[in-house]
Formats: sequence, structure tokens, C-alpha cells
Amino acid sequence: MKEGQASMNKGTDRIYAWGFVSILFAMSLLFFALPVKSFSDVENRPLQKVPKLTWENLWSKKFTDDSESYVTDHFPFRTQWVGAKSLMEQMRLQQENNGIYRGKDGYLFEKFNKPDQTAILKYTDAVRAFANNHQGANLTFLLAPTSIGLYPERLPWLAEAYPQTDVNHLIGQELQSSLTFMDGFQFLRPAADSEKAIYYKTDHHWTTYGAYLAYAAYAKQMGWTPLSEDDFNIETVTDSFLGSYHTRSQFSGLTPDSIQTYMPKNGIPTEMYIADTNETFKSMYASSYLSKKDKYSYFLGGVHALMTLHTELPPEQVDQQKMLVIKDSYAHSFLPFLTQHVKDIHVIDIRYYNGSISDYMEKNGIKDVLLLFNTTTFITENNLLKLK
Amino acid sequence: MVFSSLLFLFLFLPAVLLVYFLSPWRVKNFVLFVSSLIFYAWGEPVYIAIMLLSTITDYSFGLLLSSPKLSSVQRKWIVVSSIIVNLTLLGYFKYADFLINNINALLGTQIPLTELALPIGISFYTFQSMSYIIDIYRGTAKAQRNWIDFATFVALFPQLVAGPIVQYSTIAEQLRHRTVNASLFAEGVRRFIIGLAKKVLLANNIGLLWNTISSSSADTLPALTAWIGIIAFAFQIYFDFSGYSDMAIGLGLMLGFRFNENFNKPYTAQSITDFWRRWHISLSTWFRDYVYIPLGGNRKGLWKQIRNILIVWLLTGIWHGASWNFMLWGLYFGVILIFEKWVGLKLLQRLPSWLRHSYALLLILIGWVFFAFDELPHMANYFSAMAGANHQPLWNNETLYLLYTNAILLVLLVIASLPKPKSKRSLNPIVQLGWHALLFLMSVAYLVDATFNPFLYFRF
Repeated sequence: MKEGQASMNKGTDRIYAWGFVSILFAMSLLFFALPVKSFSDVENRPLQKVPKLTWENLWSKKFTDDSESYVTDHFPFRTQWVGAKSLMEQMRLQQENNGIYRGKDGYLFEKFNKPDQTAILKYTDAVRAFANNHQGANLTFLLAPTSIGLYPERLPWLAEAYPQTDVNHLIGQELQSSLTFMDGFQFLRPAADSEKAIYYKTDHHWTTYGAYLAYAAYAKQMGWTPLSEDDFNIETVTDSFLGSYHTRSQFSGLTPDSIQTYMPKNGIPTEMYIADTNETFKSMYASSYLSKKDKYSYFLGGVHALMTLHTELPPEQVDQQKMLVIKDSYAHSFLPFLTQHVKDIHVIDIRYYNGSISDYMEKNGIKDVLLLFNTTTFITENNLLKLK
Repeated sequence: MVFSSLLFLFLFLPAVLLVYFLSPWRVKNFVLFVSSLIFYAWGEPVYIAIMLLSTITDYSFGLLLSSPKLSSVQRKWIVVSSIIVNLTLLGYFKYADFLINNINALLGTQIPLTELALPIGISFYTFQSMSYIIDIYRGTAKAQRNWIDFATFVALFPQLVAGPIVQYSTIAEQLRHRTVNASLFAEGVRRFIIGLAKKVLLANNIGLLWNTISSSSADTLPALTAWIGIIAFAFQIYFDFSGYSDMAIGLGLMLGFRFNENFNKPYTAQSITDFWRRWHISLSTWFRDYVYIPLGGNRKGLWKQIRNILIVWLLTGIWHGASWNFMLWGLYFGVILIFEKWVGLKLLQRLPSWLRHSYALLLILIGWVFFAFDELPHMANYFSAMAGANHQPLWNNETLYLLYTNAILLVLLVIASLPKPKSKRSLNPIVQLGWHALLFLMSVAYLVDATFNPFLYFRF
């Protein structure tokens, strides 16, 4: 045995043999004995169901693949193991885990590498084609940076991210001749040093304050008078929000974020219709999510392919009758502000909506469109190519 | 299935151990054979047929060869047929598309590709099967009459996927008579845990560093980053592969088999000749015994020897994968070995040991660049980054970031690449027990997290 070790005494050897075997059997017994969960709150995703043994599944390797996922998903003490791994990574001075940096001031960041320029141009081409096909419509494109774009100085020591300003600039150059382009840096950067957080520290979304800044800029762009912050009752609805960056990185010892709502003081209720499920709600906020892991879904009750927001605004408050918002989830905390100006807002999440947007606009007589995306979604989301 | 998966560790392995140890001796091989089939079929339900075909063919050829009535010409034909069957299987599944691609490129033809997935372990079990027939032909082994015993030898799950390549003669006796006891089992457990930790804790994590560096454009890579990258790759491939061999040897011991060692601290080598005595030993031995020596080795004069070395190293290269870069890699070592044989080693002896060591490491690292990039332009760009010929600074912030966030891991990798200090060998058994338990638990934590668990040697 060149790389092996010399044999030890009999007693120790027995401990090794029986110890190893006992751990293996104990874990597999626990695995079968523990109750089967169908959803992981910590990871915020459904867990693999018991694989079905059929010839077809066996042949296509689906059975074996599902079994592997089933075992990892339902492994006893899964969360604790993952937490232990994250801890060990930090002990070895690693500043990132599963693609998430542990930055300064409690900020977690998603890595942002140099994007593929040809892919970006494909997406901007799609948006331009969309604009060209709707010459008569009033189109605005609002591109929000993500937190790593606005706070590169909060990255771990010596870590570097590709500058999102460059990416937004490139996208702007490609689009500004076809529609009204709004670069999020323009209105977020002046507030970057304020006390109020623009982004969640543990999640990839902007805060309600970040969304407010975007709203104020958009309203000005549209020629409306934005409400001031004093026109709202600002309430903290939770202060125990550990978001998606935490989910991925499983870093321990983080300070949870708090989520605010901006409730207009002269509140006119908004009716929220979810076309996916044909349900109507009296509120844009789903408080049931506040007790779950995925607390950002408090806004609008999460992601929907198609929904409408109807607000019975008094005529003097109506800046616009109807509009369409094509968006990612950054719009969820942004849309409640818009309801103070627009009576009917149609909202399409292009990642999940499979119909023709042009047909939809024609059918509903929509002439005003806002496209709202964050930079990371925009440069990676293949579904954008559905725009025509 | 791979060893470094929770399903293998906590379901498959305990089940196999339970059935294996409860079964009487006469059915133990059958238990192993069936377990190995399940292990293999797990990833490749269809390709099990190919393995069985290779097994049945060589089993029959073996029986034929042992018949005393054959003339020497007939015996030769049997060996040649067996080799043709095995190399055809290997060639068709591993090299057909490579060949077609090159023919299409060269002649402008449009021959369609086969687009077959490579059957797992085919490079390993065809070599084992061939060694069996050749050993019988040479009289160093007797034909196995029991089909189950022979099939167990070929399919034995510990070494099926990634070796070590077990020559039939080393294991023939153990197929019939082997001992299983607590101290062998314990030795197997220790060895398995070390292998698991090498793969999961060391190889996978340093592999992330290599991924980061190799996926960024080589045009903008500072020289120091490029060097850190290839060092990371060198560590990744060593700990990945030797970890897998350790796990195989460990599992073998638990079941009562003693496989030969496959690695012996290769990065402590003082020359390339020395390196290849320490790296993937079972493969170099195989090529020495079944190619180099039959070709005449060093007994037919200088030119024939050079020819033989080049043939062996071209084959060694292409064995690692159907791509030009592997051939280049093999040839590269072939040329260095020839150089060392005639002048190099004599020159090296005059140098101090640290310089010999640096010489070997430098050449090994350059070799890994050939190995790592299967597209020649990428390879060239990476070389130019290492040479600082891409007009980049020597290092930048990212270099320093990658260095300090991996510093502890790199130190551990260096320590793990060196021979064990004497003081550690005589450590208190309780401390050792705790150490192995800790390594095992840490590996499980990383496996549960397993967002990154590719097994590099599936390409072979």
C-alpha cells in the first residue's frame, strides 16, 4: 500500500468497519423513515416526487435521474448539510457560494460576468422589431440595474464585476432611436448614498423605495406629476425577509431585510384580475406570503402570465385610461404606484405568456406600453425573442 | 452511477454490502456481478449489451485458447480475433465520429456522424478483457471456466467506470479465494473516505477555480491568472482521478479484492520518466506489457525503440479521448521521454533536486494545457496568455481575488500532493478515526450541496 495507511489494531479496525456501515444504514433508514415533504421552503421550490418505475421511465433514464434528485432532495437534514457546506466555504476565505458574493454591509450579490454581446444584440433586435411593428404606439423601455450594478464598491475585497453601466449603455444605444429608453442608473444613482436601501440585501429585487424612484422618473417622463413620498403611508410589513440570494448561498449570520409598502393616503382600492386562474382580488398584496420564504410574492401575489389592474380613479386623477406593461418581477413592487395614474393596467410577464402580444394590444386597443426589465433578466431571457 | 453520489453511498452501497456479506461464498461473485450490472445500467441501460458482448466473446475465446489441440497459428488467430472485436467496439463507439469529422474536413465529404454517446467505462473494460486473452495466450493466466467469475472480473463495479485497469493475472486467484475481515474492511473504509474527500472536497472545489479561469477569454487573461488556472487544473485532474482510484481500491478491499495502486504522488516526480511511473500506473503498465514489449521494446535497436515509444505514447494520448489535443499530449510526452532516455536523465542527475523537480512540474503543467483544450485555437491562446504574449498586465485585481479566496485550498492541495510525513503515520488511532469521520461528514455536506459534481473521467 503506497498511498494507503498501515493497518491499525483490531479494536480500532472494528470501530471503523462497524462505524462506517452503521452511518450508511442509519442514513438510509432515516431517509425512508422521515416524512416526505413536497415543497422546500428554504429553497423555495417543489421537491422531486417519488420516481415511478415504468419501462418507459427506465428506458429513457428518467427513472434513474428522478431517483438521484429524489435522494438529494429528501436527504435527511438537507438544510443543515447545505448550511455546513456554506460555513466551511466561508472558513476557507471563499467570498462566494453557489454564485453569490458575500459583499460588504450585509449585501449579497449575484455574480455578473461579461455578457455575451451577440446575445444582447439579439434581444435588442427583438425589442426594436416590436417597436417597428407598433409605430403608432408610445413605447417606453425602462432598464433597471441589479444591486451589483449600482454598488460595485460593496463587492468583497478585490472582487470585480463587469460594469452594468456599460451593458445598459449598449442596450440604450441600440434602442433609443426606436422608443423612449430609460436607463435605471439615471434615477437610482443619485439616491445610491441615501440612508434608504434601494435594493434588498438578501434578494435580487429592488426595494419598494427603489421602485418608487423608478415610478417617479417614469411619471415625469410621461408628463404626469408623481406623488411625493409624503402622499403615502409607508408601512413595514415584515422585517424577516431572507430572499433569493440567501436561498442560493445559504450564508449564515445575515441580517434579514424588511419589506415596505407605500399606501396612498387617499387610497382608492385596486381590483386585481389574474387571467391565468380567472380570479379577482380586492388587493394587490397577498399577505399570506409574508409567513413564507418567498416574501417578495407579497406584491401582486407572485408571478402571473397575464393580469389586469383596475382602479376607479376620479376623472381628475386619471392621466391615462389604459396601458400595457411587459415586465419581469421588478415590476411587482412598481405597479402599485402606476395605479394612481392609470385606470386599467394590463400586465404581461413575457417569460410565461405565450399568446401574441400584438394581437392582445389590438384587441384591447392599447397604445401605450412600458417594458420594464432588470439588466440580468434582459440579457439572459430567451423568451424576450417572443416580442414581435 | 458514480461513487460520489448520495444514492450510491447511502442506498446502493449498504444494500450491496448487506446482500454480499449475508450470501454464502459460492454466490458472492454472482451477487457482485448482478450489483455491477445494476450499477452500470443505472447510467446506460442500453449499453449494458455492449459490455456483455465483450465479456461473452472473450470468455469464449478464452475457453477456445485453452484447448490443447490448437496449433500456434490457430492460437494466434484467436488472440487477433479477440483484439479485433474489442478494438472494433472501442473504435466504433469512441473514435468513429472523430474519424468521420477528419475525413469530412480533409476530403470535403458529408459522411453523417454516428452521434453515439460513449459507453461508460468502455476504455477500461475492453482493456481488461484484452489483457485476459493475451495473458492466456502467453500462459501467464489460465482460462476462466466459470462464466460468472469471468463476468465479475470484467464488470466489477469498483473499477468498472474509471479503473484502475486490473490485469486478469493480478486478480484471477482472488476471484476464487479471497478473505474478508474487519481489518481489510477497515482499511477499505479509510481508503474510500480519503478518495471521496479527494474528489469532493479537493478536486471539485479547485475545479471551480479552473472553470472560472478557463471560461474567461484568454485574450484578457493576465499571465499569473493563466498559470494559476493550469495549476488548478493539474490539481483537479489529479485529485479527481486518484480520488476515484482510491475509492475503487477502498471498495475492493471492503469486498476482499486487492487492486494494484494507480497513483504514487505523481507531482513529487523528478523527471517525466519518473512522473509516468507515478501517474495512472495501471494504464502505463498495460501499454508497456501489451504494446511496448510485444513491439520489441528496447531490444531491437535505437530506431525501433524510438518508434515503439512514439507508438505507445500516441496510443496513450488517443486513449484519453478522441481528439487531436490528446494525441498531441501523448506525442509531447513521447518526445520528452525519448529525450530523457538518451540525454535528459544524465543531465538531470547533475542538477539539485529542487531544480529537477521544477523541471518536471513545468513540463507536466505545459502538458495539461494540451490536455485541457480540445480546440487548438483555444489552446494556442491559453499558451500565449501564460507566456504573457497577449499584452496584458502580469496580474490584476481578479488574480489577487482568486488567489486569496483559494489560498487555503491551494495549501491543502499541496500538502495532499506530498508524501505523508512520518509523524502523521503514527498518529493516535482515535485522532485518525476522528479525522476520517470529519472528512466523511464534510464530503457528505459538499455532496448534499452538490451543485457542481461533474466526473471528468467519463470521457474516457
